[in-house]
Amino acid sequence: MASNWIRLIIIILFLIALITLPLWASRYIVSVLLLIYLYMTAASMWNLLAGYSGLISLGQQMFIGIGGYTLAVLSIYYGIPIFLCILLGGVISVILAILISQPIFRMKGVYFAIGTWIIAEALGISFSNWGYVRYGMGLFIQPAYKLSMSFIYYAALILGVGSIVLVYLLLRSNLGLALMAIRDDDIASEVMGVNIFRCKLTCFLISAFVTGLAAGVLYLNTIFIQPFEAFGIGWTVKLLFIVIIGGLGTVEGPILGAVIFVLLQQFLSEYVGFNLIILGAITILTIFFAPRGIIGTFHEKFLLELFPIRRQ
Amino acid sequence: MLTSLEPLINGILLGGLYAVIGIGLSMIFGIMKQVNLAHGELMILASYFSLIFIQLLGLHPLLTVFFVFPALFILGYLLQTLLFNRVLGKGMEPYLMISFGLSIILQNALLLLFTPDARSLKTGLIIQTLDVYGLFHVPVIYLVDFAGGVLMIGCLHLFMKRTYLGRAIRASADDLSASKLMGINIKRVYALAMGIAAVTAAMSGVLVGMTFTFYPHSGTQYLIIAFGVVIIGGMGSLPGTFLGGLILGISQLVGAQLIGPGFQLLSGYLILLIVLTIRPQGLLGKR
Repeated sequence: MASNWIRLIIIILFLIALITLPLWASRYIVSVLLLIYLYMTAASMWNLLAGYSGLISLGQQMFIGIGGYTLAVLSIYYGIPIFLCILLGGVISVILAILISQPIFRMKGVYFAIGTWIIAEALGISFSNWGYVRYGMGLFIQPAYKLSMSFIYYAALILGVGSIVLVYLLLRSNLGLALMAIRDDDIASEVMGVNIFRCKLTCFLISAFVTGLAAGVLYLNTIFIQPFEAFGIGWTVKLLFIVIIGGLGTVEGPILGAVIFVLLQQFLSEYVGFNLIILGAITILTIFFAPRGIIGTFHEKFLLELFPIRRQ
Repeated sequence: MLTSLEPLINGILLGGLYAVIGIGLSMIFGIMKQVNLAHGELMILASYFSLIFIQLLGLHPLLTVFFVFPALFILGYLLQTLLFNRVLGKGMEPYLMISFGLSIILQNALLLLFTPDARSLKTGLIIQTLDVYGLFHVPVIYLVDFAGGVLMIGCLHLFMKRTYLGRAIRASADDLSASKLMGINIKRVYALAMGIAAVTAAMSGVLVGMTFTFYPHSGTQYLIIAFGVVIIGGMGSLPGTFLGGLILGISQLVGAQLIGPGFQLLSGYLILLIVLTIRPQGLLGKR
C-alpha cells in the first residue's frame, strides 16, 4: 500500500510542476513540452490500436489531416471559436472512422495496415484537388495567431494527461480485459462471449477521436496546413518510432518514447537529412536488441510498473 | 471513335509495368508471409544506380541492367541475411517495422546524396509514339515497359518452375517444416529469394526511371502501386499479380480520362479499396 501512496504523490508533484510550467520556464521549454504532450497523445492512441487491439494502422494521418483541416476551415471560413473547432475535428474524425469501419474491419493484419494507409493517401489526393481548401497550396490558420503560447500549452497538457488516463482506465475496464483475452486467444475469447468486432471498433473510434483532437492543437501550433503534409505517412512513421522505442503495449511507453523523440528531433534539427536516418536506425536496433522497447525491457528486468493495468 | 480506346490500350501497357513493380512484393509475401515496406525504396535506389552508370559510362538505360541487377541482387541478399532473417518466426510486426525503418533510411540517404531534384533516365524513346493505323497513338516507352514487365515475369515464372532453387523456394513457401526436413537451408533460400525480389525491383526501377521522373521520395508512391497490384491480384499469386497490374493500370488511365488528370491516382485507389472490401484476399488469391 505504501508504494501506491508514494507513486501517487510523485505523480501529483510532477503534475503540479507541469501545470505551473508556463509561469517559470522559458518559452522554448514550453514549446518543446507542448510537442511532447501532443506526440504522446497521438502515440498512445496508436499504441491502443497496435499494442492492445492488434490493429496495426498505417493510416493515423487521416485523422491528423481531418482534425487539422476541420480546425482550419471552420476557424478561417466561419469564425467558429477555436475550442469548438478542435472538438468538431475530433467528432468528424469519429464520423470518418465509422464510415470506413465496415470495409476496413473486413481486412486482417497486413491488409488492415495497407487499407488504412491507402484511405489516408486517397484523402490527401482528394484534398489537394479540392478548390474549397485551396488545393495543394494549403491554408494559413490566422485565428491561431491570436492565441497565447500558454493557452496552447494547457490544451496540449490536458490532452496528454487525459489520453494517458483514458488509456489506463480503458485497459482496467471490462474492455481492457476483453482486449487481453482477444490478444491471448481470439477464438477462445469469442466463444466465451467477447464481441471482438465491437471491442476493436471501440478502440478504433476512441483513437480516431483523440487523434483528431491532438491534430487540432498541433495545427494551432504549426499554423500552416497543407494536404500532402497533413495526410502524409510521415506522421505514422513518427508515432511508430515513439511507440517502438518506448515499448509497444505499455501505458508508459508512448510517454517515454515521445520525450526521446522530441528531444532527438530538437537535437538533430541541426543535421538536416541525417535526423530521419538516425531515427530509422534506432528503430531497427531497438527491434533487434530490445524488442519490447525501453519500458517493456524495464518491466521484465525490475518487475516495476508505473501504471499497472493488471488487477491486484 | 476509336481514340476512346487509347486510355484502355495505354492502361494495359502501363499495367505490365505495374505488374513488375508488384511482383517482388507478392513474391516475398508468398514465400515468407511478410511484407517488405522498403520495396519501393529498393526500386528507386535501382533508378539512381542506373543513373550513375549512365553518367559514368554513357550507356543506354536498358543496358545498365547488367550492372544494376547484380548490385540489387547482392543488396537484397545482404538485407535478408543481416536484417530480416534475424526476426523470422517472430510474427508480422518486427518485419514490418524493420522494413519501415529501412525505407526511411534509404529514402533520406538518397535525399542526401542526390538532392531532392527530379531525375529521369533520358532516352530517345520517351518522345516517340506509335501510330496504329491512324486509329490511336501509343507511346513507344509504354510498349517497352510492357515488354520489359512481361519478360521479367515470364523469366521468373520459368525460374520458379524449372530450376532447383525455384523448387526449393516454392517448397519452403508451401510447407516450412517439411522443406527443412528435406534439407533445404531456409535462411539461405530466403536470402536468395529476397535477392531475386530485389532484381525485379531493379527492373521496375529502370523502367520507371525511363518512363517518369523520380525523386528520392518516389518510393512510397510506387510501394502503394505495388500494394495495389498485389492486393487486387492476390498476394503470392503470379498470374494474379499480372491481372492486378492490368486492372490498376486501366482503372488509373480510364479514371483520368473520365474525371480529370488529377484523379489518376485516386481512381486507382478507389478500385483498390473496393477490391479490398469485397474480396480481401484478392481476385486470384487463396485464403
